[in-house]
Amino acid sequence: MDLQYYLQQLVNGICLGGMYALMSVGYSLVYSIMSFSNFAHGGVIMVGAYVGFFALTALKVPFLVAFLLCGVGSGLLAVIIERLVYSPLRKRKAPSLYFIISAMGASIFLENFVIATIDGTPRNYPTLFSNSIKIGSLSLGLDSLLMIIVSAVSLLVLMIIIQKTKIGLAIRACSYNEKAGTLMGINSSLVIFVVFLMGGVLAGFAGMLYGMRFIVKPTIGQVTNKSFVAAVFGGLGSLPGAIVGSLLLGIMEIFVASINSSLRDLFVYALLIIVLIIKPSGLMGKPVEDKA
Amino acid sequence: MSMLEVRDLNVYYGGIHALKGISLDVEEGQIVSIIGSNGAGKSSMMNTISGIVKRQSGEILFRGEKLPSQANKIVKQGICQVPEGRLIFANLTTYENLILGAYLRKDKAGIERDLKRVYEIFPRLEERKNQIAGTLSGGEQQMLAMGRGIMSAPELIMLDEPSLGLAPLLVNTIFETIKEIKAMGKTILLVEQNALKALSVADNAYVLEQGRITMSGPGKQLLKDPTIAEAYLGHAK
Ligand SMILES: Nc1ncnc2c1ncn2[C@@H]1O[C@H](COP(=O)(O)OP(=O)(O)OP(=O)(O)O)[C@@H](O)[C@H]1O
Ligand SMILES: [Mg+2]
Repeated sequence: MDLQYYLQQLVNGICLGGMYALMSVGYSLVYSIMSFSNFAHGGVIMVGAYVGFFALTALKVPFLVAFLLCGVGSGLLAVIIERLVYSPLRKRKAPSLYFIISAMGASIFLENFVIATIDGTPRNYPTLFSNSIKIGSLSLGLDSLLMIIVSAVSLLVLMIIIQKTKIGLAIRACSYNEKAGTLMGINSSLVIFVVFLMGGVLAGFAGMLYGMRFIVKPTIGQVTNKSFVAAVFGGLGSLPGAIVGSLLLGIMEIFVASINSSLRDLFVYALLIIVLIIKPSGLMGKPVEDKA
Repeated sequence: MSMLEVRDLNVYYGGIHALKGISLDVEEGQIVSIIGSNGAGKSSMMNTISGIVKRQSGEILFRGEKLPSQANKIVKQGICQVPEGRLIFANLTTYENLILGAYLRKDKAGIERDLKRVYEIFPRLEERKNQIAGTLSGGEQQMLAMGRGIMSAPELIMLDEPSLGLAPLLVNTIFETIKEIKAMGKTILLVEQNALKALSVADNAYVLEQGRITMSGPGKQLLKDPTIAEAYLGHAK
């Protein structure tokens, strides 16, 4: 165990954390506007991973095209779920518990839909990037480098949209008070649409990265629940919180796994419970009573 | 034809009949004040006009046409509400709040000009333009709420208790601003607890009691009315 080993693990942790961040911002964005945890997000990520897989293997499109298809596919799916499931609940002003249960239902539906229409067997992505580059004594796989770059660029674009554009300002306004936003002339349906679209597109990217690194199967939506833990850890509803929480979680998870890989998930979910007990608002979230 | 015509408005919250057949008119370029005690239905009436509360029955016409039902579309028609309790965006800066007021506007030059104007009326807001609005003082937040309303360049601006909780000096500033907004050619619907001031600035006024309009007339005239003096001005004449 030397410095190089730790550096290598750190890189692995950042890769994982970056991927978690792509997923967790989707949880946070939806939470910030609609105050519920959109557990259908895991299903959206999973479908993204399948879109990428079939784009590469059946359509045989280049990587970049497959990657964009993932974003489009998951983005559309997220928006469709919002329209079909959440929008009617919104119109009825249903309590957030209804949203969460429906979200879980949507997630299980998607999982079983894939099992029924494709099948349940795990699939491996074709190897796309097997080379690695050397930085000093550190070897960095091209796939890892790609993960880091994709995550960083996507998150940067998202932050610019949120902080610098008009729709971003509208999203931040509605996340504070939707009624007041409406009084400014903001169309809250449009804000919700954009939030689901952006979260969905990033979920598609994340799904593909996940598939490339690990595996594709109908249940990976559950695995991606760790990104939800990251969002809670960082402070549900806060975008910077989701990103920081994800990176920290990714790094901690890798180091815990390097000690004993069977502790990996135990650690992540123990962290969730501890955060909820000790500091439910997470690292950067605003304190609220109802973290449904 | 009045700019705003409200006809026989009924609003219920569950079993509570909050507005019981209200009718009123607002003429273009005027200040119309509504006074009434707590729970009379003043905010309910404004919220119904701005579309955030749905009515059971009745008609609201703006320039002779029915208003759309969604609140954000009503803003587009040129009606802006500065709500009770201000509802400023506490997570955003003063400047961002003001810009949100102009959310539907496309005329960049006009927005710039109105921003300057707001900063002239409330120099404090310019000093604090990069401050997170949640950390502004109560009075500064009220200035911000009014500034944000001006930024939307409405034809009709509805102010719900703009002087609530402010020190006397600031109350005067707020009423000066109301006159200034009128001088800009805007029409104002004003809800106030401060009946003396509200009636003094009003061209026309209505008294709302338990969901019903019980009296109306020119502000100056109501000011002289003995029942009003007793009930709302705190002294019998
Ligand atoms: N969302 C609501 N749900 C149930 N009842 C409500 C609601 N909003 C208002 N009410 C009731 O309707 C009545 C009128 O309320 P409203 O807020 O319009 O009064 P107001 O004249 O603005 O009073 P104030 O001067 O205290 O602001 C009150 O009895 C109030 O309790
Ligand atoms: Mg009120």
